[in-house]
Amino acid sequence: MIVREVKVTNQAGVHTRPASLIVRTAAKFKADFWIQKDGYEINGKSIIGVMTLAAEQGTMLTLLFEGADEAEAAEAMEQLFADGFGEVK
Amino acid sequence: MSRGEPRPERSMSNARDDIRIEVQDAEAPPAGRTTVLQGLGVSAGIAIGPAYLYTRAAFTVEHRELAEEDVEGELSSFEYAVSRAEHDLGKITALAREKLGAESVQIFEAQLMMLRDEALHDEVVYRIRTERCNAAYAVTAVMSTHRQRIEASESEYLRDRVHDLQDIQDRLVMHLQREKHLAAIDTATIVVAENLTAADLLIFSRRGLLGCALDRGGATSHVSIMARALGIPAVVSLHGITAAVEPEDHLIIDGIEGRVILNPDEVTLARYQTRQVRYRRLIQEQKSLAPLPAETLDHHRVRLRANIELLEELEVMEEHGAEGVGLLRTEVLLLMKGEITFDEERQFEEYKQVVQAATPHLTTFRLLDLGGDKMLPVAHRESNPFLGWRGIRVLLDKPEILLPQLRAVLRASAYGPSRLLLPMVTNLGEPHRFRAFLEAVKQDLRREGHAFDEAVALGIMVEVPAVALMADLFAKEVDFFSLGTNDLTQYTLAVDRGNDLVAELFHEIHPAVLRLIKRTIDAGEKQGIPVSLCGEVGGNPRMAPIWIGLGLTELSASPSYLPEVKRVIRAIKRTEAVELAARALCARDAHEVAAMLDAWLEEHGCNLDRFL
Repeated sequence: MIVREVKVTNQAGVHTRPASLIVRTAAKFKADFWIQKDGYEINGKSIIGVMTLAAEQGTMLTLLFEGADEAEAAEAMEQLFADGFGEVK
Repeated sequence: MSRGEPRPERSMSNARDDIRIEVQDAEAPPAGRTTVLQGLGVSAGIAIGPAYLYTRAAFTVEHRELAEEDVEGELSSFEYAVSRAEHDLGKITALAREKLGAESVQIFEAQLMMLRDEALHDEVVYRIRTERCNAAYAVTAVMSTHRQRIEASESEYLRDRVHDLQDIQDRLVMHLQREKHLAAIDTATIVVAENLTAADLLIFSRRGLLGCALDRGGATSHVSIMARALGIPAVVSLHGITAAVEPEDHLIIDGIEGRVILNPDEVTLARYQTRQVRYRRLIQEQKSLAPLPAETLDHHRVRLRANIELLEELEVMEEHGAEGVGLLRTEVLLLMKGEITFDEERQFEEYKQVVQAATPHLTTFRLLDLGGDKMLPVAHRESNPFLGWRGIRVLLDKPEILLPQLRAVLRASAYGPSRLLLPMVTNLGEPHRFRAFLEAVKQDLRREGHAFDEAVALGIMVEVPAVALMADLFAKEVDFFSLGTNDLTQYTLAVDRGNDLVAELFHEIHPAVLRLIKRTIDAGEKQGIPVSLCGEVGGNPRMAPIWIGLGLTELSASPSYLPEVKRVIRAIKRTEAVELAARALCARDAHEVAAMLDAWLEEHGCNLDRFL
C-alpha cells in the first residue's frame, strides 16, 4: 500500500473533466485506488465518486494505492495533480 | 382547410402557447364534456378511440415494490436503459467530434464514463435487489445521494457539475419510463403528446396506434411525414391538447380538417363514423386510380413520383401509383436506424433495395442533407443553422461522409435507373466541384471492377432563391432541377416555418415563390432538362392546377397523396390551368392566389370535398 498527500492546484478544482482524467489514468493500472478527503473515502476508479469529492482549489487529498503496479500508479497520479490537470492554476 | 394554404383563422395568440395552455387549463371543461380543438391536419383520415396521454409530466418517478420474480426483469431493464443511453451519448459524441473537434467531446466522454461507472451500476443493482424497488426509483435515489454531496460544495463552479449527473439520471429514467409507456400502448388508442419523434410514432404504430394529436409540430415535421407514410390520421399544432385531455377521454381525430373532438356526443360520433366509412371508400377508389396515367383532359402527361424516407414506404408506392422515387431523403433513411454510420456497405444494401423496388421507374437519390434542422443534438449550435453549414456545403467539406455515400449510390445504380440530386446548392462552383469528385469516384469504381450506371444523371435542388434567379446558367451545368418548395419558400419569404410567431406568413403559393418556380421551369425548358417539384405541396391536390399551369411535368410527394393529385390532374385541362397560373403570377399576395385557386377549383368541378 502506498499513501500520498496531494493538493488540488488548478483554479476550477476537480470538476467533470479532471475527474475523468483521474479515472482514466487510474484505469491504466491494476492497482486499486482510493481517495480520501476529510475522512470521506471514495473509489478513485469511479468518476461519479471522484466528482462527489467536490474538491476545490487548495484542497488536500489522500491517495491510496494497493496492487502490483502501485508505485507506477502513484507516480502517474501525483504527476497529474502536480500539472493541475493541464488547466489554469 | 388543406395544408399549406393561408390560414387566417389562426391568430398570433396561437404562438404564445405557454399562455394559451394556462388559459386553457383555467377554462378546462369538466371531463366528459364535448370540446373541439382546431390544429393542422397533417395526415388525412378519421380515427375514433380512447386517448393515451404521453407527456413529460408522465415521466415522474414513482416508487414501486417488485415481486420477487420481477427483480431479474427489472435488472435487465436497467441494463437495457444503460445501453440505450450509452448509444445516445455515443451518437452525440460522434457528432460533436465530427462538427466541433476533439476538445468539445470531453464533456460527453465524461458523461459516458459516468454511465459506465461500475460503482454507480453496483449501487443501483444493489438497491433493486435488496429493496426490490423499480429501476427508475433506484437510479433516482442513488443519483440524488451523489448530487447532494456535490451540491454541498462551496464552489459554485463545482456545484454546477451536478447538471452532468442530472443529465445522466434523466437519460436513464427516460429510457426506463419509455419502456413502460411503450408497453402500455398495446391496445388501440390515440396518442396525445406535446411532441413525438418520428421513431416513437413508428414504434407506437406497430402496437396498433389509431391516430395522433400533438401540441406542437408542423406539416413538414418528421413526425408528420411519418404519420402520412404510415397512414395514421394526425393533427398537430394544437397548442394545449395535452392540457385539455384527461386520460379516460374519448377522441375523434379528423386529419382532413385538422380537428380534434374530445368526448363527442352521440350525434357527432355517428356523423364521424359515417365520414370514416366514406373516407375508407375514397381510399379504395383511389387505389383503383393507381394503374391509370396522370394525364390532363387535353393529354398533358405528368409524372407522379414518391418522396421516400423509410424502406417501409416502398411497399405502398405501387398501390398509390407512384412512378418511381422523386426524392429519397437519404439522411432520414440513415438516421432512422438510430445510429449515424456512413458505412458504404450498409448504405449500398439499403439503396439497392430502393432501386429494386422502384425499377423499372427511376430512383432520385438526394445526397445527405445534414445541417439545418436535420442534425441530432450537438453541444455547439449554429445561431442560424438554416443559413449555415448544411447540404452540399457539408458534403464538399467532408469527403469522409460524401465518399462512402457516393460509392454506395453509384453501386446501387447498377440495379436500376438512378439519378443524383445535390441538396442546398447556392453557387455554380458547387455542382462543378461535385462533378470532379464524382468522376474520380467513378474512376475508382471502374478500377475496382464495380458495376454502375455510367450515365447517371446529376441534378440540383432549387431551394435557394439565388439558384432560381440564375437557373439559366445552372441549367447548362446539370441534368435536371428539383424544386424544394419548403426551403425555397422559407428563404424567399424570410419565414421560419417552424416558428409559430410567423408560421402563418409561410405560403408556398406566394406570388414571389411562384415567380421563382416559373423562372426555374422556363430555364429548364429552354435547356431541355426536366424540372420536378418535390416539396410537400406537390402532394396537395388543391394546388395541382397551379403546378400544372406553371408547366411542371413531374411532381413528387408522399405516396399516400398521389392518388388524389392524380384525380385532380385527370379532371382538368392544361390550357385552363395555364391561364390560372398566369393570373396567379400577377397576384398581390398568397391570399389572393388562394382565393383564385378556390374559385377555379369550384368552377372546374374538381369537387375536392366530396367525401365529407
